[in-house]
Amino acid sequence: MLCFVYLLLSGLMIFLQFPELYWGKVGFQGYDAVFKLSDWGLSWEEADALGNRRWGRNYHYLFAWVFVINGLIYLGWNLWQKRFYSKMLPRREELSVKYLKADMKNHLRFRAPTGTAARQYGVLQKISYLLVLFVLFPFMIVSGFAQMPAFTAISPELIDLFGGRQSARTLHVICTVLLLLFVVVHLIEVLVAGAVNQVRSMITGRYVVLTESAEGD
Amino acid sequence: MKKPNPETLSRRKFITRAGAVGGLLLTGCDTVLYKPPVVRDGLMGVADVLTMASQRLLLSGQQLVQEHDASEITKNFPIWNQSNPEDEEYQRLRRGNYADWQLPVTGMVNRPTSLSLEDLKRLPRRTQITNHICEQGWSAIAQWTGAPLLNVLEAAGGVTPEARYVLIDAYGGWYEGYDMFDAVHPQTILAYGMNGKELPLGHGAPVRLRVERHCGYKQIKFVKSIRVVSNMDGFGRGTGGLNSDFDFHWYAGA
Repeated sequence: MLCFVYLLLSGLMIFLQFPELYWGKVGFQGYDAVFKLSDWGLSWEEADALGNRRWGRNYHYLFAWVFVINGLIYLGWNLWQKRFYSKMLPRREELSVKYLKADMKNHLRFRAPTGTAARQYGVLQKISYLLVLFVLFPFMIVSGFAQMPAFTAISPELIDLFGGRQSARTLHVICTVLLLLFVVVHLIEVLVAGAVNQVRSMITGRYVVLTESAEGD
Repeated sequence: MKKPNPETLSRRKFITRAGAVGGLLLTGCDTVLYKPPVVRDGLMGVADVLTMASQRLLLSGQQLVQEHDASEITKNFPIWNQSNPEDEEYQRLRRGNYADWQLPVTGMVNRPTSLSLEDLKRLPRRTQITNHICEQGWSAIAQWTGAPLLNVLEAAGGVTPEARYVLIDAYGGWYEGYDMFDAVHPQTILAYGMNGKELPLGHGAPVRLRVERHCGYKQIKFVKSIRVVSNMDGFGRGTGGLNSDFDFHWYAGA
């Protein structure tokens, strides 16, 4: 979470000093942009004054390393413990349309699971975790690489795969927005499920399970 | 299957020669290849070394950067940083169309020398169409023609065994340091031509450096002199370049 905040903040600081996105191999001020912050009410000069890419670049790389090292430890530990398989892989019956619909309804009504169901990840939760861990995170890392000049020699194929380094930059930003959405939804879910109980369980392992009747009282 | 690439073959020859000139690439464990001249304090320094060491390992074959098609050359290539140094000597040279421009190559070289623009143009030349990647976020493609820095060092009799860095001074007060790993890369050239014409004023006339595996700020413009040194002490704040003196990364492969 600390990593996410720093990576987001430092990324934003870098972006603000060049607040336009392009598609393809090249892009610069005056070139056809696919996104201009100035179209959204913040002029180039205003954004530039808010940003600080020197600070941003230093911290972006620092926390990218913290993120990657931490991520590898997390990945290794969970593979070792077979936790991805037992906790995150949706069971066959969970993937039925009926089940998914029911889970979706519960989420939209902000109804938290009770009883034994509360101890497990819900199916939508499982899918979103897998998506973040194995699609969005790797995508962020690789699209970051595709923007680095060293990779024009290490792996030009990677840059071509994105359609050019400007496309990689644009996709990096889009992926950031998706991750931000995930974090916001995730935080709302934690609140719905009872923040005190959840956080206590993360730190101490103690988790109070509400039963249907207790909830009704 | 990849076709055998003539560039790859010439690259092998290049590296053998580079070894003879630098004597450095043969000792693969030289830590100078894996860390900046000055490692910053704390975790920031750890991250810097991790980045540089991991990228250098991946680049250890001295692979060439991607080159582009002439049709992809960018019109209106942006001009950044100084575009016409406020320097009396430079302005005098400019008025004389750089006929009196001289490039001293000194320091830890066997035969210190000075090259005119004509001398530089008589050295082997290389033309490459590459993507210039600025740390700010923009990028643009241009064709660059120039003399490989390796050939320039050879023109000065090659470097001595203690040599570790090539320090380039520019008119207008900029300076930047490069290690031998980058100095001997085949695409590291002192460019005097851009898109088939003389290098324009705004892009660093008469000569700028292209060091293609780095961000834009390492592509120093308005080259004034070259010194080969063993360390960066005593130059600016001693971090190895004006950009890193101001806390940008010295190693700018990103």
